Amino acid sequence: MHTDLAPAPGSTTIEIALKIWRYDAVTGDKELKRYEVEAPDWVTLLDVLDIIKDKHDGTLAYRKSCRMMICGSCGMRMDGAAVLACKTRMYDIAKSGHVPVIAPMGNLPVRKDLVVDMEPFWNKIRRMKPWLDPGYEEPPEKEWRVSQEKMNVIHKEALCIMCGCCVSECNSMESDPEFFGPAALAKGMRFVGDARDQANVSRLEDYNDEHGIWDCTRCYFCNERCPKGVDPRDAIAKLGAESIKEGIEHDMGAKHANWFVTSARTTGWLRETELVPKTQGIVEAIRQTKFALNLAKHGKVPSPVPPHVAERVNESRLLYSLVKEQGRDGALGIVQGEHALGRIEFTEQAGLKANDPEVQPVVEPPPAEG
Amino acid sequence: MVEAKHDVLIVGAGCAGMRAAIEAHDAGADVALLSKIHPVRSHSGAAEGGINAALGNASDDSPEEHAYDTVKGSDYLGDQDAIEILCNEAPGDVYQLEHWGAVFSRTDDGRIAQRPFGAAGAPRTAYAADITGHVLVHVLYEQVMKREIPTYEEFFAWKLVMNDDRCQGVIAWDLLDGGLKSIGAKTVILATGGAGRLYVGTTNAYACTGDGMALALSVGVALKDMEMMQFHPTTLSPTGVLITEGTRGEGAYLLNSEGERFLKRYAPNAMELASRDVISRAEQTEIDEGRGINGNVMLDLRHLGAEKILERLHGTRELSMTFAGVDPIYEPIPVRPGSHYHMGGVDTDVWGLTSVEGLYAAGECACVSVHGANRLGGNALMETITYGKRVGRHAADWALANTTIEVPQSVEADAERELKELLDRNEGERPWSIRDELASSMHENFGVFRREEQMRKQGEIVEGLRERYQRVIVDDKGDVFNTDLTQALELGFLLELAACMVPCGLERKESRGAHARPYDYPDRDDEQYLRHTLVTMRDGTPQVEWKPVTMTKWQPQERTY
Repeated sequence: MHTDLAPAPGSTTIEIALKIWRYDAVTGDKELKRYEVEAPDWVTLLDVLDIIKDKHDGTLAYRKSCRMMICGSCGMRMDGAAVLACKTRMYDIAKSGHVPVIAPMGNLPVRKDLVVDMEPFWNKIRRMKPWLDPGYEEPPEKEWRVSQEKMNVIHKEALCIMCGCCVSECNSMESDPEFFGPAALAKGMRFVGDARDQANVSRLEDYNDEHGIWDCTRCYFCNERCPKGVDPRDAIAKLGAESIKEGIEHDMGAKHANWFVTSARTTGWLRETELVPKTQGIVEAIRQTKFALNLAKHGKVPSPVPPHVAERVNESRLLYSLVKEQGRDGALGIVQGEHALGRIEFTEQAGLKANDPEVQPVVEPPPAEG
Repeated sequence: MVEAKHDVLIVGAGCAGMRAAIEAHDAGADVALLSKIHPVRSHSGAAEGGINAALGNASDDSPEEHAYDTVKGSDYLGDQDAIEILCNEAPGDVYQLEHWGAVFSRTDDGRIAQRPFGAAGAPRTAYAADITGHVLVHVLYEQVMKREIPTYEEFFAWKLVMNDDRCQGVIAWDLLDGGLKSIGAKTVILATGGAGRLYVGTTNAYACTGDGMALALSVGVALKDMEMMQFHPTTLSPTGVLITEGTRGEGAYLLNSEGERFLKRYAPNAMELASRDVISRAEQTEIDEGRGINGNVMLDLRHLGAEKILERLHGTRELSMTFAGVDPIYEPIPVRPGSHYHMGGVDTDVWGLTSVEGLYAAGECACVSVHGANRLGGNALMETITYGKRVGRHAADWALANTTIEVPQSVEADAERELKELLDRNEGERPWSIRDELASSMHENFGVFRREEQMRKQGEIVEGLRERYQRVIVDDKGDVFNTDLTQALELGFLLELAACMVPCGLERKESRGAHARPYDYPDRDDEQYLRHTLVTMRDGTPQVEWKPVTMTKWQPQERTY
């Protein structure tokens, strides 16, 4: 019996209170309104919104359809974190006495209450040319023969339901609204990683553009908040690896990444002093001399000569070779943040303890103030 | 004011709608999609188990065997010409989806994997883990984006434009910006899916309110076999969320409160892979006779092992954990029958054409009829693709050979007036109680088992609700994202459909497929009822007529599993 699961449905009811950011599309007025409802103990956030709309205020606007985590309509924020309303059980929250704040998703213009304008989202998806491009090859009479292993490469990206939760949480997009963003780039990886697609090089060149893959700040909020385990940040990492493999490394981000790899392979430590010239070029490095000297004065950069070599540099080189040997298929296993579900899934077989922090399931955001 | 005109306008953008749009576009027509939700939000995406085509990848198979299984599964009410078309075209249509990039699961030699499904003589169900519908919706939307097919997103279709005895467009409520918009079209294809929301326990999305069926009915087109609502045997308690038949395809057991695999007493050969109607009735009998657990039976996956569950039934596990608090690796899942699929729908020919020129239907909202009295798992997605394609082709060809579109101003003015009347009403009843009473009474009186007196009672209940609906009030009077309005309009559609279903159930004095009358007519009666019901509305009153079933090569036999 797993105690970390939501309670099995019973016949009791609970009192649930919510605060919802109401937004009037015509006047532009905003108001945080409190609602209290009585509901069966198994209800989700979406069920609570339905009760409010039916019985308290018919003007409340939100999207919904499948109520089973597959249509992607009901993305919104609870206590500042994106959730699917239909996936969010209310029992624990209500029992704790916490009153969560419900708001529309971030990074998208609000139209009314919890409804955002998804057009900017879809424009970025379309920007990826998100359809299979088999090149000039005529399709076979029957299906393309592709091994399950090769299909597995894009397994997670294909789970995406386009709910927008990752985009809502994207820190890069908050500072650069033109950043392609996690959902679009995961969709891009879905094709780059597809053995049937012949356009991967031109796709990668395109995704390396300004506002592209290297503008991701790696905050991992998208992985954290994705309700389907797509792990968009991992998809972006895979696009980076694929780009470099194809020799597409003109972006500073690619050069930056390359230098980390070179450092790891040669000396085992990151050679920071050489990082700036290798990433931004000699001219820019010279411009930053004063800054570098300042850092050196405070002991933040080691002297470039002699290069500082890690004590057990062989270990680092072995790691490098191991990663290098793994192709695309291997990428599934090595990308950081491989989703927590996988770890929970094999908890018992792997002999891990269920209370190991590594194997805790994704929990609802902790109650915040107010 | 007519916003735009198109050769082909498709209402609904799930698998059938998008497949039709792609085909019509490729045939050279100016085509547009119109949907009350974004295309990828469509309920086709919730189909889990798979899509049936005799590819023969897992064992020897043929379209003929597929057709036979479908005919038998339909309890001989399916039209055999339509079924043969489906089964013959299915393999090519599945290969087409694969060529577009559908992420199917694979066999060891890299072909499309196929799993066994209920009442199928071969492992015929091609699948993508347990998210087949999701994968197909997305691959079709990719192709829609590639072709830049214009889409009226979040437009609620409310009226069909009839002029000169032809359907020439749609009047829709624009959800994002508000206002009624008329869109003219030489042909209109209804592809709005089912009406599962007629029932309180349903696998269907909130969007499944039978809009297309009600629209067709409103212009005098007959609905066919409306009494045939499929109850899926494994819907999660209490919300009705679908647990795929793929679980049983992979070997899951159904158990009663005594831990017995009770299907041995109902379908000793096929057991858990008997037809859906057979299993739903078996479950309901167990529950009614006191061998259920809190109104459920148990679906046991534990013996399949963690690895198989995680690889092939990952989504099922996620749903069970989220909505029932049960991890199927360690515990059985509580399930019960819930409304799932409407075999009935808009009466069409094998090209999806209705009795009205220019008006077509495809997918669940249509009744070609491929599924007859009971649909086999995996055949619904296949129907959306094959018949979506055929309808798209026919509508495009017709539109390209005909020229004019005219939306009379009086049609728009009438719609505006009717809408204003509804929005201006401030005294009356909120829709939710009518909606809830409809859904719970349909479940009670027109569910898995049907009794004469209960159906009569249900007829009266529905009449009472239709009466109350005349005084329904909408809280939200605004223009932006007014779902309070559209939900009220959807309820109006549902009530019309319920009013049609009940008399069809009463008229069919036999037990066939999903229509089970064990108390007065326990047997199938081919002498009298091997025919379709057809229902139309005349002055607000449903009229039931009959239509023969098309037979090609299979004569009715006793149906056992």
